[in-house]
Amino acid sequence: MYLIKWAILLSMFWLLLSGYIQPLLLSFGAASVAVVLLIIKRMDDIDKEPFQTGTGRQIIQYLPYLTGQIILSSIQVTKLIWRSPVKLEPATAKIKAKDLPRDKRVLYANSITLTPGTLTVDLVDDELTVHALQGSSVDELAEGNMERKIDSIWGNKK
Amino acid sequence: MLFLDVISSILLISGVFFGLSGAIGIFKFPDFFTRIHAASITDSIATILIVGGLLLQTSFDLNTVKLIFILVFLMITSPTASHALAKSARHGGLLTMAEAKEKKQEKTG
Repeated sequence: MYLIKWAILLSMFWLLLSGYIQPLLLSFGAASVAVVLLIIKRMDDIDKEPFQTGTGRQIIQYLPYLTGQIILSSIQVTKLIWRSPVKLEPATAKIKAKDLPRDKRVLYANSITLTPGTLTVDLVDDELTVHALQGSSVDELAEGNMERKIDSIWGNKK
Repeated sequence: MLFLDVISSILLISGVFFGLSGAIGIFKFPDFFTRIHAASITDSIATILIVGGLLLQTSFDLNTVKLIFILVFLMITSPTASHALAKSARHGGLLTMAEAKEKKQEKTG
């Protein structure tokens, strides 16, 4: 029952944020969790796509890789900023992501935006329009290392 | 404690450096799309480093958890904001540098 999962998750979230354990405040917390659960239930009845709560095991596998990518490309862009005069070769390219399941394409697009130097401008079906500071970073993306990484972590449970 | 303080100040100082680089990049870069790239440095690595530095300054209690929540939410919202900006600029008809150059050549040639 996914509503119970949500209830546990939300209660944990509330407790971590507040840190109070007086009965009055706890009952406020319980009331707000109940209201959120009611809203979740009513909205899922309408859109018929209940959002599954995972364990977050995959995201923990993915985060170190993403952080590494962010650090590497940040250093690249910082070099570009401090170089004088500024020399840029901005490029726009379309990248296919048809191997990924639909909901992971959003993660892929957001990861591209999060790494400095590349920016997802548009996402239509399986085609991402990417704007990059340097043409070379588009080539790197087109090789698909990041896509394969996401696919290897999430792909098996399609 | 001294050891943690040293690491924390290194993280904070490098975070400030990247934040400053992003700000300077916004002024130095030539057009809208390249400026978003400069701002994304401040969004991503400066946030990670500064919040990471602050994490080491806490006494590892509820405040640590709250800082981690802040980091997670910033990591989700900042690329969304950059994407929204870029997408609306694109759909509003703003050209990238390469496209603008092409158009100019078409006009003159």
